[in-house]
Amino acid sequence: MLGRVSDGEGSSGEPSIDVLFARTAGGDRAAFGELYDRTAPRVFGLVRRILVDAAQAEEVTQDVFLEVWQQAARFDASRGAAVAWLLTIAHRRAVDRVRSAQASAERDLRAGIRELATPAEDVEERVELSVEHERVSAALGELSEAQRTALAMAYYEGKSQSEIADALELPLGTVKTRLRDGMIRLRHLLGVTS
Amino acid sequence: MTEPDEELRALAAAYALDALDGEELRRFEAELARSPELRAEVDGFRAVAAGLGAEAPELAPPPSLKAGLFARLDETPQLPPVDAEPLAEPTAFPASASEPDTAPEPVAAPEPAAPEPDAGPVDELAARRRRRRLVTTLAAAASVAILAIGVAIGIGWSGPNGWGAQRELAALEAAPDAQRQTVEVSGGGEVTVLWSAELGRSAVMANGLPELGSTHDYELWYIDEAGPAPAGLVGANSWRVLEGDFVDGMVVGLTVEPAGGSEQPTTEPIAAVQT
Repeated sequence: MLGRVSDGEGSSGEPSIDVLFARTAGGDRAAFGELYDRTAPRVFGLVRRILVDAAQAEEVTQDVFLEVWQQAARFDASRGAAVAWLLTIAHRRAVDRVRSAQASAERDLRAGIRELATPAEDVEERVELSVEHERVSAALGELSEAQRTALAMAYYEGKSQSEIADALELPLGTVKTRLRDGMIRLRHLLGVTS
Repeated sequence: MTEPDEELRALAAAYALDALDGEELRRFEAELARSPELRAEVDGFRAVAAGLGAEAPELAPPPSLKAGLFARLDETPQLPPVDAEPLAEPTAFPASASEPDTAPEPVAAPEPAAPEPDAGPVDELAARRRRRRLVTTLAAAASVAILAIGVAIGIGWSGPNGWGAQRELAALEAAPDAQRQTVEVSGGGEVTVLWSAELGRSAVMANGLPELGSTHDYELWYIDEAGPAPAGLVGANSWRVLEGDFVDGMVVGLTVEPAGGSEQPTTEPIAAVQT
């Protein structure tokens, strides 16, 4: 459902995203180009939202599509829609970038080794930015505010459960419960069956 | 198939949000590799998470991004489907048996299918998908990409990646204290460093680095207070278990050296990971 709706299948005789994936898996660069054209704004929009920084978001977006190129043969349509898979990769890579930026900020590399990781941003600032620009769907509106906050911090800010607990000064168990209950509720509201 | 541990199952939602880290993440992924029930649960939550992803406003990337992407395709080999993995047997490196109580189950997959050539026509792909459903399929879980790299390399990627090294790599991936970090390489591509202080080993996976030709090689270094020590050569799209003993806190560095490598770095590192 979710991703499938946005796959843009069947409109004006264009090949479906699934077909483009299959052709990409066969090394068809034209198909890959079309896949990119149709999905990049969605991927870039998500990555940019998580990372905020435009240059980092561009790098990660390029990496996402390189991974798609590499792994297209491994995409399994039986397990979900192609766009959902893309967004899964995009989210994972953006979160990895957030975490590695934080990790490298906390580490003091020894003299003689140039720091090559992307400079860490001010994490607090990013929190405020993304809360400010948050757009929540009707389903998100059905959640408790506590659940919504935990989900947004996890998904849109790339925070781990323990980071959320630290940031909100809550017990880890409370955060786990909020994330799980919020996701179960969303799953129900969005009609996802597993 | 045994029911997944309830406590771990309760983490499926957080996993789909990429909100697990550290030990929990490692334990969850080990269980995920074994449990089709857990994978189905994660798939469902991933669909929900993708819904959250679709909430983000669409934003057109600059045209230069696509041009840069296509410029990198030549150096980015496409991987075969996941069911062609030579490492798809449970392997346990003998050294990791030192802590049998805390050691995780090795990442297990059912019997590997015969390796297949590169991706073919659509119907062949569909057939593979059907077959693959029987096999441990982690493709959708991009967070385990490192595992995919680890198992794909045996197929055709170059490097000192014989069976012994593959077992070492598998042991590293399964080590209770295993950590990993991926960094971009200046000049293009990225390297992932995977390390375990308990095993005293580390491995590097290089992905999409520029080809150097016959005059130069990529060389790895273990760097500590005493300075850099050579840890072996690695190809542009390859991997290796590093030579020498790994100790927590070392920096793993990568430089370009004259063919055959150097005893001391002669150029600035193009990547470095602080462990």
